[in-house]
Amino acid sequence: MEANRTSKPTLRRVLQLWGLYARMDFLMIISDLRLGLIFYFCDAILNIALVTGMLLLAERFVNIGMWSYGQIVFMMGYATTANGIVNLFGSYNVGFISRRIGRGQFDHSLVQPLPIWLVLLSEGFMPFSSSAIFIPGIALLIWGLSQMTMTITFGWVVLLLVNLMASAAITLAFSFLWGSLAFWAPRSAEEVSTSAMNFLTQLKVFPLDGLGPILLTSLMTVIPVGFVAWFPSRALLGLEESSLGLWVTPLVAIVLSALAGFVFIKGMQHYGRTGSQHYRGFGHRG
Amino acid sequence: MALHKYWKTMMMMATSYIGDSPLFLLDYLLRFLRVVVLLAIWRLILVHDASISMSLEEVLTYTLIAEVFSAQLAVRTRLDLMFWEGSIIGKMLQPLGLFRQFTAEMCGKWLFEGALFSLPLLLCSPLLGVDPRPANLAAFGLFVISLLLAISVGLALDFIFNALLVIYALPLWAISQIRSAVITLLSGAMIPLALLPESVGNALAWLPFASMASAPLQLYVGTGEPISLIGLQIGWSIVLWPLAHWLWYISRERMLSYGG
Repeated sequence: MEANRTSKPTLRRVLQLWGLYARMDFLMIISDLRLGLIFYFCDAILNIALVTGMLLLAERFVNIGMWSYGQIVFMMGYATTANGIVNLFGSYNVGFISRRIGRGQFDHSLVQPLPIWLVLLSEGFMPFSSSAIFIPGIALLIWGLSQMTMTITFGWVVLLLVNLMASAAITLAFSFLWGSLAFWAPRSAEEVSTSAMNFLTQLKVFPLDGLGPILLTSLMTVIPVGFVAWFPSRALLGLEESSLGLWVTPLVAIVLSALAGFVFIKGMQHYGRTGSQHYRGFGHRG
Repeated sequence: MALHKYWKTMMMMATSYIGDSPLFLLDYLLRFLRVVVLLAIWRLILVHDASISMSLEEVLTYTLIAEVFSAQLAVRTRLDLMFWEGSIIGKMLQPLGLFRQFTAEMCGKWLFEGALFSLPLLLCSPLLGVDPRPANLAAFGLFVISLLLAISVGLALDFIFNALLVIYALPLWAISQIRSAVITLLSGAMIPLALLPESVGNALAWLPFASMASAPLQLYVGTGEPISLIGLQIGWSIVLWPLAHWLWYISRERMLSYGG
């Protein structure tokens, strides 16, 4: 097993695993079609409801600060699509990693004959289920762009994709950063990833332009909600003064991912010494 | 004496909250930030707009009071959670009325939240640049009446939603999340209905969700018509409570619990 864990994973292996989990995702939906469709449409409605309030405000007021109607629609589309990417790779509680750790389920990943990063990269892959978020997100992006007179180039589309991936990475890194607490406090931090994700989910739909400098700095650093949709949308739509703004979100994603990785590895080292309370005599929830 | 047992249930819930949910401070921080962000947005978009029926000051007060009374304006018992955990069985064995047990527990949570979040937020309002006072004394009186009716409508809806979970064997977490998101939007708790496109706002005002939040908040800031708002709340209470009782009556035997 150790030999397999340390063997070099190839891109082919990654694609094989994604194919496997995609098939499992599809089978899960069709195995109980009624339940599968309920989950699918619940996901779609939930994510649309999150952005509908801001869309209705934009419809009523035409402009929200410096944002035109089309730009607000684009930002809502960006927020929804980035969330779709988080769900694409972070389902089955990979995105809510504190639950896996706190409940002792992380051991199930540790015994897989794969490097742990590959397990986490592949186990949460659900392309069919997450399409319930992707499709409305992409529709909003296209609708928003159609309301503007912007020239779309190939380079801009690449930057859009890079920024979307970066925003999703920031969301997941933030969840892992907080979720690692569960290595040290499995019971009390079991749901900490949920609180962390709630921060980003609930605040991501708002344009943060009117905030004071202290609060704005906090929402760009301590709680990086500004990078989930607001800042990258500003940069992509040319509302930022400098074109360097297009690279800020990817840069933050790299820094935050490295930090989350460092804390997660520290947590795993601690876990290696203490193990999971789940398997003690008195039980995890005892 | 008859109420003593429910008072005890309420206090148990209030004092157990810290132990059961040690991350409650994070949730309060999130809610505080949400209020601050919303206040900033209203200042950004309403400052020069004369086309709406509410002034900026009224919208700011509306938003602050909506968060101060958020638990009462979006009533939730722990009934769905108890289905999930299986602890509903224990509740049904207790010599207390089921609806009243859950209501008492919910009120216990309110005590805790009121002391640790609502009151501090109200005290912080000058720092946020918001006048938290009602439009006048009469408006406050009407708000109290309307708030009680809002709780009544919200509780009835909560029991109806949970009965539907049982009847149709719906997935708990999916329905629970979607319910929170949709009610927040439709009730006017986050965005006043007067700020939505006129046709949308007018249509939503007739739904029971608006009776849960929009009605008392409008009365508090003095922008609502008391007779029609309170009349509609009474109407929804009269319709929804018998429906809730009937749904529970027909669904009791079908209840499946996941935990246990």
